[in-house]
Amino acid sequence: MATPTYTLIDSVTLGSSASSVTFSSIEQTFGDLILVSNHSTTGIAELSVRVNGDTSSNYYWVSMGGNGSTTVSQSSGGATNAMRPMERALTNTGIKGVFILQFFDYSATNKHKSVLSRSDTATYGTGATANRWGSTAAISSILLYPNMNLFESGSTFHLYGIAKEL
Amino acid sequence: MGMQLIETIEVGAGGASSIEFTGIDGTGQDLVCLVSPRVSATGYSIRARFNSDSGANYAYRNLYGTGSSAASQGYATQSGILFGIVSGGTNTANTFASVQLTIPNYSGSSSKTISADSVSENNANQAYQQISAGSWTGTAAITTLTISVEGTATFSQYSTASLYKVTAD
Repeated sequence: MATPTYTLIDSVTLGSSASSVTFSSIEQTFGDLILVSNHSTTGIAELSVRVNGDTSSNYYWVSMGGNGSTTVSQSSGGATNAMRPMERALTNTGIKGVFILQFFDYSATNKHKSVLSRSDTATYGTGATANRWGSTAAISSILLYPNMNLFESGSTFHLYGIAKEL
Repeated sequence: MGMQLIETIEVGAGGASSIEFTGIDGTGQDLVCLVSPRVSATGYSIRARFNSDSGANYAYRNLYGTGSSAASQGYATQSGILFGIVSGGTNTANTFASVQLTIPNYSGSSSKTISADSVSENNANQAYQQISAGSWTGTAAITTLTISVEGTATFSQYSTASLYKVTAD
């Protein structure tokens, strides 16, 4: 039996290549957000995620990843423009990745926002990242874009809201 | 709208070589499978196959930690996706692993990709945590998901797997 706790807010399937995808005017009625991206790109790329159009140095993260032979762990103490937390999981032409981001308590206005992300492409690698967006503003928009090249046609992006109460 | 349980399977007395979900309809956006497995030997991984395809049509990469070190492995042209080292054998009795497998766009007409997280349980210094990426070249909608154990190991009694679909309506 389905429960009303996991709601599809918006779904985007690209009919042609695109430089970015934006979820805007995100309603503030949920507790958490889950974003599932299943995309490929027109050339090699990492996924970037910008919140509320913020391009200042508010993106912090600690990540770990493996590419099939080596492991890595990195951190950012305040990057500009966007989260690029997709450790080791690149995309390319015809090579799709699975990217799952969980935005906790995204509508709160009294805390920085924590985002856990998983990133996976079987061709390049797998990674997990703990992110922090250093702002107390509620998250009302999420912009996704490849740091190089374009999202390919057929890429999909699903944004879900998780109910904070039944 | 929600996350709808399709089926839960529990392994009975005597164990089982595999857990299989069949007749999966294409009305969901994504599939999520939560597995609580224990297997008959120590240090074995569980494997996912789609639509009963046992050909060399799968690839995966993983990153795992043992409690003292980390490593990463990657394989192409495999007969399935190994997506978690699970509890079993000499691991602490009655402990089961925890595994989550996510398959976005499982009913689409392009090749399929997966994401998986897993932890084994063992009341000792060594236990495994693993994250995995995987792909299947099949372009048909996924209607069957088969989870088995690598090698000759089998699932122990009380292992469970629950398959959910995330629906838009």
